[in-house]
Amino acid sequence: MGGFIDTLQFVLAPQVVNGLSIGVAVILMALGLTIIFGLLDVINMAHGEFYALGAYLGVSLAAAGVNFWLMLLLVPLIMAPIGYLFERTLIQRVFHHKDRHILTLLLTFGLAIIMEDLFKVFYGPQALTAATPIEGASEIAGMFFPNYRLFLMAIGTAIIVVVWLVVYRTSLGAMVRAAAFDKNMASSLGVPVSHVYAGTFAFGVALAALSGVLLAPVYSVFPTMGKDFILMAFSVVIVGGLGSIKGAVIAGLVLTQIQAIASLYISPSWTDPLVFAIMVAVLMVRPQGLFGRLGHA
Amino acid sequence: MKTVFAHKLLAASMLAGLAAAASAQEAPIRIGVVTPLSGTYSALGQQVKWGIELATKEINAAGGIMGRKVELLFEDEEANPSVAVPKAEKLFQVAKVDFLTGTVNSASTLAVGQLAERNNRLVATTVSFSDAITGDKCSPNVFRVNAKAGQQSAALAEWLSKSKPNAKLFYLGPDYEMGRSTVAAFKSAAEKKGAKTVGEVFAPLENKDYSPFFGQVRAARPDVMYTSVAGNDTVRLFTQMSQYGLLKNMTVVGASGTLTSQNLAAVGKAGEGFVTGVGYSVEIDLPENQKFVKAFTEFAKAAPDLYGADSYGVMYFYKAAVEKAKSTDTDKVRTAMRGLEWMTPQGKKIMRAGDHQAIQDMYVTQMTNGKFKILSKVAGDAAIGPDTCTKF
Repeated sequence: MGGFIDTLQFVLAPQVVNGLSIGVAVILMALGLTIIFGLLDVINMAHGEFYALGAYLGVSLAAAGVNFWLMLLLVPLIMAPIGYLFERTLIQRVFHHKDRHILTLLLTFGLAIIMEDLFKVFYGPQALTAATPIEGASEIAGMFFPNYRLFLMAIGTAIIVVVWLVVYRTSLGAMVRAAAFDKNMASSLGVPVSHVYAGTFAFGVALAALSGVLLAPVYSVFPTMGKDFILMAFSVVIVGGLGSIKGAVIAGLVLTQIQAIASLYISPSWTDPLVFAIMVAVLMVRPQGLFGRLGHA
Repeated sequence: MKTVFAHKLLAASMLAGLAAAASAQEAPIRIGVVTPLSGTYSALGQQVKWGIELATKEINAAGGIMGRKVELLFEDEEANPSVAVPKAEKLFQVAKVDFLTGTVNSASTLAVGQLAERNNRLVATTVSFSDAITGDKCSPNVFRVNAKAGQQSAALAEWLSKSKPNAKLFYLGPDYEMGRSTVAAFKSAAEKKGAKTVGEVFAPLENKDYSPFFGQVRAARPDVMYTSVAGNDTVRLFTQMSQYGLLKNMTVVGASGTLTSQNLAAVGKAGEGFVTGVGYSVEIDLPENQKFVKAFTEFAKAAPDLYGADSYGVMYFYKAAVEKAKSTDTDKVRTAMRGLEWMTPQGKKIMRAGDHQAIQDMYVTQMTNGKFKILSKVAGDAAIGPDTCTKF
């Protein structure tokens, strides 16, 4: 009996909470991906590197003496114009080509490789750490959690809610959804479609960079960090349905919980293949994912 | 017409110069160094290069080996066996090197060793840890002058049994060859000395979040955790353990590659108290080491680490063997190397004839205020373990 309570209190319950904190991190990554795909029909392979760039930017700003909380505001503000410019100058170049999917995939993949090497050139190959802005740990019902992780879960949830509200409850969001649903009709009704495209891309990039700043104190900062969450985020987006925010949130929570609990009973190395197997199964039964596309809900 | 004449004159004077040089002394002994000069392991390769260059400078200044100067030929292996092999082949076939060293990645050392067998040349590693190199994959053409993983675990287990008798141990390793073999080696060494295993977990290589394993660690209530993660994985594991307050009542011990100059800065305070078994420390209180540390620091403008020290030592190993053999002939040098005793910054080392593994004193060091301090010394023959090589 003592053994069972031990397992429940020390192993199972913390596992669920830890899985939740990883889930929030994955959803933050998946959100940007799914919004960009849902609207532009572009799979952004450099999404992970924008996340890394956000984290590196945070490290540089911290070295320059900028306060962490200010950084949460500053980094997305710096990154959004970069994303906007990238969409206008590079994505738009191949956007109207008949091989758009292949070309944008190659374009963003190439960019990812270049960015990763640039991180090595400018910051070196070794890992850097970001100071934890909230120190200490709290005991909740005999379980022990770092305060910063609790904060991450709270702010992550807040960001997800805000993104949802912006997309589904504002006129800006209505324009985005309209452009995604039928760009010709939206354009004829006065929606500035090209700006909406670039703006949405910028929004996705800013979101990735913000996640980079938020997650750096837990996961540290190094050149290949962009690859960390991206496979998981892609799986989440595919299972949830490409372009669906609701799908990303639900699939993100479910898949990370499956991983967290499964890692107690099978080798942790098998939890990634497990998620990919679920993804394959979903693709076979329901190729469009659990939920529909942005603007098609 | 004028230019043709000038060319002829130039060629003639060059030939004369070459002839003069050749008569002044015999052709130099050529030593190939295949080591990572770029990429993730370039910091290790840099130490290898400095150590070898410093020893070569000293040897040449003192008259070379049997009156012949030593010439070094460097190639970048990128810590990748498929790069190391063609570069080593080039050095053997085209540059006709007499001896080859420098490989870092254990797989590179094994691959280059096979190549050495085919080319009838000798190679030595100064860095690779894998026990297999002088164990079940040993080769008559391969020598190891540095301490293998088994010697490091033996030293650490010895220290553990004295400072924490009958400790309850939890193991956390990266889930691939190196992680599984280091954990297995330390587990058997520690259990023989009375430690009790309370749990083990293997996390995927480049795992991002270790918190899913912390519950198992807590429930097992260990006194000591052994880990052999490396590189960025160490940064994450230590940072996250510290954030979860796991480091408070637990001693963390591990492989010598877990906490290195490459990730020390990023690990920071979370690495304090970490204990490991290792074959070299700048702190070793021997006149040979003090002399070496001073010369190395002046030469490289950086402190030596174990890779620099062992790479420095390999040059004197080769020198001692050639002088004993009075030849650079492969068979004669190999015979001379077997059982050879030579001096290194770590004191006297003995090359065991049966498996070509150097026997040396081992040290247990602890991270204290950002530096490794020596806690205890384990005699060479207590740490070496049995000879398991059956190929020669």
